[in-house]
Amino acid sequence: MLNFKTINKIINLGPLILLYYLSVSEIDSHFENYFEILSFNIQLIIIYFWVSKRPEVLGSGHIFFAGLINDVVMGFPLGISSLAYLTVSLVATYVKNMTVNTRITTDWFTFFIGIFFSNLIFYILLTNFSEIAINLTEISYNTFFTLIFFPFFWFLFTFYNSIITTGRNV
Amino acid sequence: MSSSRDDFGIAFRSALLQRGAAQKFSLVFLIVIASIVFFLDVYGFGFMKPVRAIINDGIYRVTLVASSPSRFVPQFTGGLTNLFNIKKENEKLKQELEAFKQKELSVEYLTNQNKNLRKILESEESYLKKENMILSKVLIDKSSPYLKSIIINRGSKSGVLKGMPVMDKDYLVGRVVETNYLSSRVLLLNDLNSRIPVTFGEDGVQAILKGSGGSRPVLEYLPEGYIVEEGIDVFTSGKDGIFSPGSPIGITTQKGQVKLFSESSQLSFVKVDLTQNEGAVF
Repeated sequence: MLNFKTINKIINLGPLILLYYLSVSEIDSHFENYFEILSFNIQLIIIYFWVSKRPEVLGSGHIFFAGLINDVVMGFPLGISSLAYLTVSLVATYVKNMTVNTRITTDWFTFFIGIFFSNLIFYILLTNFSEIAINLTEISYNTFFTLIFFPFFWFLFTFYNSIITTGRNV
Repeated sequence: MSSSRDDFGIAFRSALLQRGAAQKFSLVFLIVIASIVFFLDVYGFGFMKPVRAIINDGIYRVTLVASSPSRFVPQFTGGLTNLFNIKKENEKLKQELEAFKQKELSVEYLTNQNKNLRKILESEESYLKKENMILSKVLIDKSSPYLKSIIINRGSKSGVLKGMPVMDKDYLVGRVVETNYLSSRVLLLNDLNSRIPVTFGEDGVQAILKGSGGSRPVLEYLPEGYIVEEGIDVFTSGKDGIFSPGSPIGITTQKGQVKLFSESSQLSFVKVDLTQNEGAVF
């Protein structure tokens, strides 16, 4: 039977497991059957939130590997998603270093800067260095909906973060 | 002013170089590694191809296992819905069955006649072609907002080469763009990168079917002033020497788009045409 320490350990690994699972599994956030332009990138939200709030939960090496896995599954050149994820991670770490207390509004704004640079790098690298063509409009929609859905996940992850904290305090 | 610039510099350097308590690598190190991996893969250095093929085969298998719960849920909910509707449907079917029984004899006669006519129409070549097709299972059909592709469980071990056409029943669905030892990636017709020479209509109009990234590809390079009519079957023209001429693709719509015969999100098994082994570039 699992003891409290093991359960706590699994809870702490939750964001990391979710990031790897979303990268490796077929589950996606592209709802073309319901609304053709609706797609958002949950991985970027996970990375931004946990790197800025609790970086010890989500190591940079794991972010790098999750990006590589995502590239293989999606059929992109290896390393491009890693670069996009690490860009978001860089912005999140910078914001964490520069600020003391953050609210959802400040997080939301800085997240926009993060995904803007992340998707910009993704688009520039893919269009200039690979033979794969992607539509700028689709990337823009993806960025927009990722930004729109951020507050929902912010509240969800904030609640989850409190569970982790509670477990550690005990 | 200079103080805020210093703060920015310190915070940025710290974000790039500092390693937290649980971090084994600094961000700058990983960014450099990711860039090296990217350029090695993009510029296709010799050793990257087998490395990538091994990684692909491994991860595709893991993806298949990891995705099994997500496949089970829609099947389960679909089954439950069917169960609720089954009684109503059963009564309706009984009535229909009675009506069909009346026509059974004439249908049987027409079916036999149709089979015989088909045998006469189909050439030996088309039978040979079917023998050179291999059935493969769709391992992954992750719907990406950017790329429309599927992963199949046949690779270079089974003789699959880059550029080979992929069919769903008799309908063209795409072509192989990446081969590994045990798996391959198929670029679907509705992907933005897909270009297929097609022909349609009584006059045999030639055009290029270009993937739109959405559900319906569009017809391009049509004759000047040509207006696409609705409801015309579109076939491969075979002008590129990759696809067999006459493979059905879809039906035209009013906007110059093509509604594909095969629903790309519903693919479970596909056939790879091994006769076309010239290979195209992606």
